Amino acid sequence: MAILETRNLTYTYPFAENPAIKDINLTIEKGEFVIITGPSGCGKTTLCRCFNGLIPHFYGGNLEGDVIVAGLNTREHPIYELAKHVGLVFQNPENQLFALTVEKDVAFGLENLGLPREEIHRRVDWALRVTGIYDLKDRAPFELSGGQQQRVAIASVLAMQPEIIVLDEPTSFLDPLSAKSILESIYQLNRELGITVILVEHRLDLAVRYANRVIIMDQGRIILDNSPREVFLDARVKLIGVGLPKVVRLYLLLREDNVDLGRTPLSPEELSDLIVGVLKSDKS
Amino acid sequence: MSVFEGLRFRNISSPIHRIDPRAKFIYVCILFAIAVLFSQLIPLLILFFSQIPLVIMAKVKREWLRLMRGTMFFAALIFITNMISLYFYGGYPSLLSIIERSVAMTLRFIILVESFSIFFATTSPDMLSLSLEQMGVPYEFCFAFITAIRFVPVLAEEAQSIMDAQKARGLELERGNFIKRIRNYIPILIPLIVSAIRRSMELAEAMESRAWGASKKRTNLYTLKMGVKDYLFISISIIILVLSLYVCFFVYIPSLAELIRFG
Repeated sequence: MAILETRNLTYTYPFAENPAIKDINLTIEKGEFVIITGPSGCGKTTLCRCFNGLIPHFYGGNLEGDVIVAGLNTREHPIYELAKHVGLVFQNPENQLFALTVEKDVAFGLENLGLPREEIHRRVDWALRVTGIYDLKDRAPFELSGGQQQRVAIASVLAMQPEIIVLDEPTSFLDPLSAKSILESIYQLNRELGITVILVEHRLDLAVRYANRVIIMDQGRIILDNSPREVFLDARVKLIGVGLPKVVRLYLLLREDNVDLGRTPLSPEELSDLIVGVLKSDKS
Repeated sequence: MSVFEGLRFRNISSPIHRIDPRAKFIYVCILFAIAVLFSQLIPLLILFFSQIPLVIMAKVKREWLRLMRGTMFFAALIFITNMISLYFYGGYPSLLSIIERSVAMTLRFIILVESFSIFFATTSPDMLSLSLEQMGVPYEFCFAFITAIRFVPVLAEEAQSIMDAQKARGLELERGNFIKRIRNYIPILIPLIVSAIRRSMELAEAMESRAWGASKKRTNLYTLKMGVKDYLFISISIIILVLSLYVCFFVYIPSLAELIRFG
């Protein structure tokens, strides 16, 4: 069953002339790991805001079509109700943490829901352990590094036990190493807890190996929607201006020289295995 | 900034840190009242020095010393104003008594700052907001308070980087007369305000996404409970207040000048 569905979704911000997203039809199944990418201003962030009801409840504007999340139409349900099903993690970790200790921050959403205190403690401890920041529990968020802050942000939505986590460029403020470890943690949530992940990401090199689906947007529309091994083979990807992962580029170059690796590699490890395989079969 | 350092919370553990903020607040209020009650030097001196054990117990000595140094300017200002006005209008018999009186007034100010410092340096803003909440202040206000404190270092850092950026583009802050200097800060204030507004939008988004306003009865992760030591602390404060009231109304307090003359 689809956990998230949009039907003919078109949205125009208040005071804007043109719609930011146009005619989006998207179905995401439970347990999927979806990457959304595309050039800046293509409507990725706007789409994320539609998923948890920030659009239209917080932003106003003109929404056409429907978004159905976990069986709830976002038009008819307030954000706080949708927040139990969809966790949204933003780009800048600094601006999504408000409390003075990590523990209080992770508890924030649960406190708002009015859960019993023991339950909050249990869930906060769980979320902190899953994201690997239990030791930072009593620290102040602003003392932490960007990567740690982003982990706190993820823990704080995780504590609400949503079925879907939407991450809007969670690594853009981070160095490559912390970006990699954050993405690994996100993948772990997807694989071990079965949480549906929708990840908006530019760093395809690091992210694409975890995804089972890549959506490429341009000018408010979905242009391509396919498995990561297929999607980059489309010539339009280059025209839109999406940076191909380096391993895919190498694969394409080799293919031009009539070296067929058999499938599109998604990580350097996979690429090297494929090359070794080809070399071996050449010898024999 | 260094003056305010003395008012910033130190996250350390001490007997004073563990006292309930409400009890500490009552203590500070009583201290205020006593400081205003007396205008003679001797009781104010006693009051001033009686705070020092508390400062040592709370392990905030360094911050306290820095704050004391920071208040020197205002203290000197108060001392000089007092001296001048008392000399011309006070009708005091001797210069010594004028000095004594001025010192007392200055000390009164220092005691107020001192007690504030002890309160803020030993009370985490979280606890403070929690106690406000439990006294019935709406959560929205407490949240605003916490957020303000949370974002002070962030905004300070941002102001610094904007300042650096504008300086790199040739803005000279320390040039020109007073009016010019104030105008020099406009290129810093505008980006700062714009980014603060943008930041608040993002913050609001994040709050909404975490079920802000979901339930009328919001749970709090922690609750404050007054314990035996808190009640003891309040009782001691009240006893001190009663004693000072008694001394103030029924005991003659000699001035230091008199003591020197007769002693």
